Amino acid sequence: MKRIILGGVSALAMTASAGAAEMGAVDEPIKLAINEWTGQHISTHVAGQMLSAAGYKVEYVTAGYMNMYQAMADGDIHAALEIWSSNVSEDYAKQVEAGGVVELGDLELAAKEGIAYPAHVAEMCPGLPAWEALQACAGNFATAETLPAGRLVDYPADWGTPGADRMTGLGLPFKAVPAGSEGALIAELRASTEKKSPLLITFWQPHWAMSAYDVQFVDLPVGEDACFNDPAWGPNPNAVNDCDFAPTRIFKGAWAGMEEKWPAAFEILSNYTLDVADQQPMMGAIDVDGGSVEEVVSGWMSENESKWKPVVDAAVN
Amino acid sequence: MAHAVETRGLWQVFGGNAKSSLERELKTGAASDDVASVLKEQGLIPAVQDANIAVAPGELFVIMGLSGSGKSTLIRSISRLVEPTAGEVIMQGEDLLKASKSRMTELRRTKMGMVFQHFGLFPHMSVIDNVAFPLKVRGLKRKERHAKVREIIEMVGLAGREEAYPRELSGGQRQRVGIARSLAGDCEVWMLDEPFSALDPLIRRQLQDEFLSIQEKLKTTILFITHDIQEALKLADRIAIMRDGRIVQIGTPTEIVLNPVDDYVRDFARDVPKGRHMTLDEVMEPINGAALSEGGPQLSTSMTLEDALAGCAMSFEPIPVRDGDGKVVGVVRPELFARALGSDT
Amino acid sequence: MSLTQDLPRRLSASRGTRAGLLVLAVGIVCLLLEQSLPWLSIWPAEWTVPTTQWIGDGLGAVLDALKPAMRAVSAVLEYPMAGANWLLNTIPPVLLIGLVAALGWYLGGALMAALGFFGLLFVLGSGYWSESMNTLALVFVSVPLALVLGLSIGILAYEVPRVKAVVQGVLDVMQTVPTFAYLTPLLVLFGFGPVVGLIASAIYAAPPMARNVLLGLERVEDEVKEAAVMSGGTRLQQLFLVELPAAMTQLLVGINQCLMAALSMVIIAAVIGGFNDIGWEVLLTMRKAQFGQAFLAGLVIVVFAIVIDRLSRALATERRRYDWRIGAGIFAACALIYLVTLSSMPPVAELAWFDGAAASVDQSVGEFTRQNGAGLDSLKNSAMFYMLLPLRIGLDQAVLPFTWGFQWTPAMSAWFFLAAAVIAGAAALSGRTTLATVLGCLAIILETGVANLPWPFLLAGVAGLGWVAGGWRLAFFGVGLLSLILLAGLWDRAMLSLYLSGASVITCALVGGALGLWAALSKTAWLVLQPICDMLQTIPLFVFLIPVLMFFQIGEFSAFLAICAYAIVPMIRYTRHGLVTTPPELMEAAQASGATTWQSLRDVRFPYAVPTILLGLNQTILYAFSMLVIAALIGTTGLGQSIYLALGSADVGLGIAAGSAMAILALVADRLVQGFAKAQREALGL
Repeated sequence: MKRIILGGVSALAMTASAGAAEMGAVDEPIKLAINEWTGQHISTHVAGQMLSAAGYKVEYVTAGYMNMYQAMADGDIHAALEIWSSNVSEDYAKQVEAGGVVELGDLELAAKEGIAYPAHVAEMCPGLPAWEALQACAGNFATAETLPAGRLVDYPADWGTPGADRMTGLGLPFKAVPAGSEGALIAELRASTEKKSPLLITFWQPHWAMSAYDVQFVDLPVGEDACFNDPAWGPNPNAVNDCDFAPTRIFKGAWAGMEEKWPAAFEILSNYTLDVADQQPMMGAIDVDGGSVEEVVSGWMSENESKWKPVVDAAVN
Repeated sequence: MAHAVETRGLWQVFGGNAKSSLERELKTGAASDDVASVLKEQGLIPAVQDANIAVAPGELFVIMGLSGSGKSTLIRSISRLVEPTAGEVIMQGEDLLKASKSRMTELRRTKMGMVFQHFGLFPHMSVIDNVAFPLKVRGLKRKERHAKVREIIEMVGLAGREEAYPRELSGGQRQRVGIARSLAGDCEVWMLDEPFSALDPLIRRQLQDEFLSIQEKLKTTILFITHDIQEALKLADRIAIMRDGRIVQIGTPTEIVLNPVDDYVRDFARDVPKGRHMTLDEVMEPINGAALSEGGPQLSTSMTLEDALAGCAMSFEPIPVRDGDGKVVGVVRPELFARALGSDT
Repeated sequence: MSLTQDLPRRLSASRGTRAGLLVLAVGIVCLLLEQSLPWLSIWPAEWTVPTTQWIGDGLGAVLDALKPAMRAVSAVLEYPMAGANWLLNTIPPVLLIGLVAALGWYLGGALMAALGFFGLLFVLGSGYWSESMNTLALVFVSVPLALVLGLSIGILAYEVPRVKAVVQGVLDVMQTVPTFAYLTPLLVLFGFGPVVGLIASAIYAAPPMARNVLLGLERVEDEVKEAAVMSGGTRLQQLFLVELPAAMTQLLVGINQCLMAALSMVIIAAVIGGFNDIGWEVLLTMRKAQFGQAFLAGLVIVVFAIVIDRLSRALATERRRYDWRIGAGIFAACALIYLVTLSSMPPVAELAWFDGAAASVDQSVGEFTRQNGAGLDSLKNSAMFYMLLPLRIGLDQAVLPFTWGFQWTPAMSAWFFLAAAVIAGAAALSGRTTLATVLGCLAIILETGVANLPWPFLLAGVAGLGWVAGGWRLAFFGVGLLSLILLAGLWDRAMLSLYLSGASVITCALVGGALGLWAALSKTAWLVLQPICDMLQTIPLFVFLIPVLMFFQIGEFSAFLAICAYAIVPMIRYTRHGLVTTPPELMEAAQASGATTWQSLRDVRFPYAVPTILLGLNQTILYAFSMLVIAALIGTTGLGQSIYLALGSADVGLGIAAGSAMAILALVADRLVQGFAKAQREALGL
C-alpha cells in the first residue's frame, strides 16, 4: 500500500514539471535495465529508441529483475521501464525510502493477473470459467504431492503467494505449489497442453504464452479494497482475499540522480506510456515468429511515430 | 686443538612440551639413560640423547647405526634442519643453536654442505641449475654461477650432462649431482646422510672410491651417516655407533672391530673379516730382543693382517715390522694372527 | 542359559551398539511422549533466537562500513574486465579459433588441436559467440584472482601449521555455502554488474586451488625441502625457487579445478545479470521453456568447459610438447581463411547453424511428452507414493486410500513396530547388535518421516554417528552446529532439505554404486559411462532442470531427479576407481586361495575400496546439497527456497542464515562420512 501511495505522489510531481527541459550530460550513456522477459525488452527498447531520437546515448544493461534496485540506487542502472507492483522486490520499497530510487509514474500497460488454465482443461472441469466449478472438480487436479486437495501452480515463492491466498480466501480445496521460476510455469503450461492433462495455474497478461497455449482466466468475484481488509466481504464471510487479484500497476523507476543529470530524458521517461495492444503483437513477433527485439521495435517505432514523437518533442523543444 | 664440529649434551626430543619436560628432568641431575626412560614414559620420543661428539678438522667421522637409531636426527640437529631440544653444537667456536635465522642461512651458504639419501634433487631444474642453486640463492648472476660450477660437475664426472633433468639420470648420476651441489657452496663441514645406501652395490663401491678421492683433494671435515658397517670401516677415520638415540661407542675402525663395548657393537663387528681392517701396528709386539731373521717377508705397520698373512703364513718365527722409514718398530708372531682373526664366538 | 549369559557381553560389545541403543532409546521416548509434549516434534517458535534479524543487522553495519573500500576494488576490477572483454570481442572469431587450435596442438597434439578447433567452431556456429566471449572475459579475470587467493591461502595454511585447521574450515564453508546466499551482500558491497559475478566465482573457485597448493607443498619430498635449506636459501627463496616449482604438477591440477569451478559459477552468477553472458542466455531461453535453445546455450558452456578442461589438463600432465611450427601453421591457415572470407562473413550474432537442430530437439521433447504422458505420470506417482512421500511424512501419513489403496491405522503402526522389533531382535540374538539398533532407528524414521522427526532423536542420531565415526569431538561438532539451526528457527526447512537430499543421496549411492561396480568389471561399460559422467559434470546445473521439468513438471520428484543426475557422478567414478585400483597382489592372493571372481570382489576388492567409495559418497553428498539450491528453481520447499526468497527481497539476514544452515547440513554429513572413511583406512593400514 505504502508503495502505491509513494508512487502517486511522485507521479503528481511529474505532471507539474512537464515542459521543455535541459538535455544535460548527452555524452554519457543512459543505462536502461533489461530484465528477464520479452515484454520488458520491448518496453525498454521503445523507451531507449525514444531517448536516442532525442539525442541521448543509450546502453542496455542486463539485470536480474529482483536484484537491480541496489544498482539503481548506486547509479549503475539509470532506469527500469516495467516494474510490476504485484511482484516487486521488497528492496524496491527500501531503496525508494532511502532516497536512491524514484518512481517515474505509470507505464499504463493494462495488466491482468489471475488464476488460469489452458483451454482444454475446461472439458475436465465443467462449469469453468466460473470459479465455483473448481470446488467440485478439485479432485481432478490432485497429484501425489497435494492429495487429497487439487494442485495449483503458484508464482515462484519470491514473487509472493497470490494464488495460495485466493484458494484460502475462497475456501477452495487446492494446495498451491510454488513454481520456482517463470520457466517452470511455462513448462507446466506446455506439458499440460502436450499431454492434455489438468492444470490450474497463477498467470498474468500481457504474456506471449497466453495465446501460445490458449490460456483462459477463471472468473473470480471482482475485487475491491474491502475484500482485502474485511473478512465479511465476498463469498466467504470468514476470510479476506476472497476475490480476484488486485489490479496490477505497472510503473517505471529511475535512479534519483537522473533528473539532475539528464533533465529532458527524465521527462521523456516520466511521460512515456505503452499500450498493451501495442506491446502484445510485438511480443508475438519476437517470441513466436523469432524476430529480434531491435528490429521489431524499430519497425513499430517508424510506423507509429504519432504515439511517441510528441512526448520526445515536448521534452526537448 | 679446536674441533671443526663438536656437540655437547645434545638432545632431540619429539612430542608436545618436549622442551619443558626435558629441562625439568635434566635439572634432577639424573643420568641421561634415566632421563630418557622417564621421557619415554611421558609419551615423548627422545630421538637423540645427550650426544657428545668432537670432530677434528679434516677428519672423516662416520655415524653408524640401524634405522631408527637416531643418526639421521643427529645430523639434522647439527645442521639445525630440526631444532634441537637442548645442548650445544659448536662449529669453529660458534654455538649454532644460538645463531639467528639469518646467521644460520649465512653459515649454510658458507660453511656447510649436505648430501641426502634420496638425493633431494630439485625436479624442475637441470643438472647445472641444481648444482648452481647454492650460488643462485646468494645472488650470483647466471653466467657467473654456471662458470663456477663447471669444474665441480667435471670433478663428479657429469660433464656433458649439464642440461639433463634429474628424471633423465640414473641413481648413481643423481647422487653425483647431489654431491656436486653440496660442494658448490664453500663447504667446510660436509654432511652426508646415507648418500650411497639407495644405490646398487656396484655403483655404491664406485662412488665410495670417488668420494674418497674427492676427500683427498678437498680435505674437508666430514660427517658421514651410514647403516653399513663395511662402508663405515672403509671410509672412516673414526666411527660413532648409535643405538636407540644414544651414542654407544666412538672409536677408530680397529677399536670398534677389536674392542666392541657391548653386544650390540659386537653384533655389527661379527661379520667383518677382521684381517681386512686390522693393520699390523694393532697386533705387533715390542721387539724385546727377539732374534730377527733377515730376509723373509717385508712387513710394514700399515699393512693389513690379510696382506701380511699371505706373505708369512709359512713362517714360525717372529717377523720384524717396519714403519714408513724402514725402521724396525716391532715384531709379529704368525701364531698371533690366528687369534686376532679368530671369531668372537 | 548360555544365551542369557552371553547377552550382556554382546550388548556391551561395540561402540556402535552402545551409540545405537542410546539413539534408539531417545527415539522411543520421543515417540511415546510426542502426544503429551508437542515441543519434542516441533521446536516452539518462542524458543528460537532471531538469528536472521541479528545477522541482517550485524552484516548490514559491516557491509556499510566496507562498502567504500569494496567499491574502489570494484572500480579497479572494471579495467581488466573491460580490457579482457574488448580483446575477446575484437579478435575475429576465426583467428581466435586458430589460436586455440594452435595452442591445442602445442599442448596435446592433433587430438587437442581438433578439439579446440571444432569446439570453438561449434560456439561460433551457435550464434552465441559474443555472449560466450563475455563469459570467457569474466573467467579470465576471475581465475587469476582465485588463483592468487587460493595460492595465498594454501601457503598460509602450509607456513603456519596452527591455522591449518581453521583455514580448512574456512575453505569448507566457502565451498558449501551456496553462492546464491552471498550474492546479495556482494551486490551491496561491490555494486551492480559483472564484478559481483567475478568475485562470487573467485570465492567459489579459490578453495580447490588452496587445497591443491597445500597438498602439493606437503607432498614435496622432505629431502628436497632440506636441500633447499642446506643450500642456504632464505625462507622465501626456499618457497618460491624450490617448493612451489617442485609442487607444480599438483598446482596445475589446482589450476584446472579452479578454472572449472569458476566457469560453473560464472553461469550461476548470471542470475544477477549485467554482462549479457551465456549464462543469461540459458536463463532467458529457460524462461520461455525453449528446451532446444536452452540446451544449445548449455552445450556451448559444456564445450567451453571441455576445451578448457582438456587443454589445462594437458598442460598439467603431459610432459611432451609438440612442434610449435605446426601450431603456427594451423594459426596461419586460419588467418588465411579469415582473410579470404572477410567480405562474405555474416555478423557472428546471425550465425545459427544449429537452430534447426535445437528446434527439432524441442519438438521431439514435446512429442515424447505427448506420447508418453500417462507413463511418465505413473512413473512419477509410483516414486512419490512408495518412496518419497513415506520418507518425508512417514507411513502413518503417506499411506492413504488414494495412494496405497488403504488407510494406515494405529493398529498397523503397532504391527509395523512389532515386526521391526522382531527383525531387530533376531539380528541382536545372532550377534549383530549394532545392526539391530540401526534397524530399530530406521523403523522409527520410516514411520514418522524425515520432515516430522522429533529433533532430540535426530540430534541423538548425529551424536551417536559422530561418536562412532570420530569420538566425542565429532559428536559435539555435529550436535553443536545442528543446534544452531534449531535455535535459528530454520529446523522445518532444514528437515525438508535433508529429506530431499537424503533421498537423492541414498538413490545415488545405490544406483551409482551399482554402475561403478559395473564399470569396474566391464571395460565396455566404462567406455559408455565415462563420457556421460563428463557431460553431467560440466553441463551448467540449470540445464538439468529443463528435460526433467518437461517430463515431470514442478515438484519434488523433478527436483529429486535433477539432484540425482548431478550427484551420481562422483559415486560412479569413485566406486569404479576404488575397485579398479585394488593392488594386483591382493587379487592374485585371493585367486591363489581359490576364490571365485565374486568372492574376491566381495571379500577382497570391496573392503579395500571402501575408503575410496566413502570419499565418493562424501562428494555425492556435497554435490547433492549444491544442486538443492538450484533445484529450488523448479519449486522445492526448504532452505533452497528460503535462499531464493532472500535473494529476491535483498534480505541479507535470511540469505546468510539459510545459506549457513545449508552449509551446516553439508558439513556435518561431510565430517561424519570422512570420520568413517578415516576409521576404515586406519583399519586397513593405509
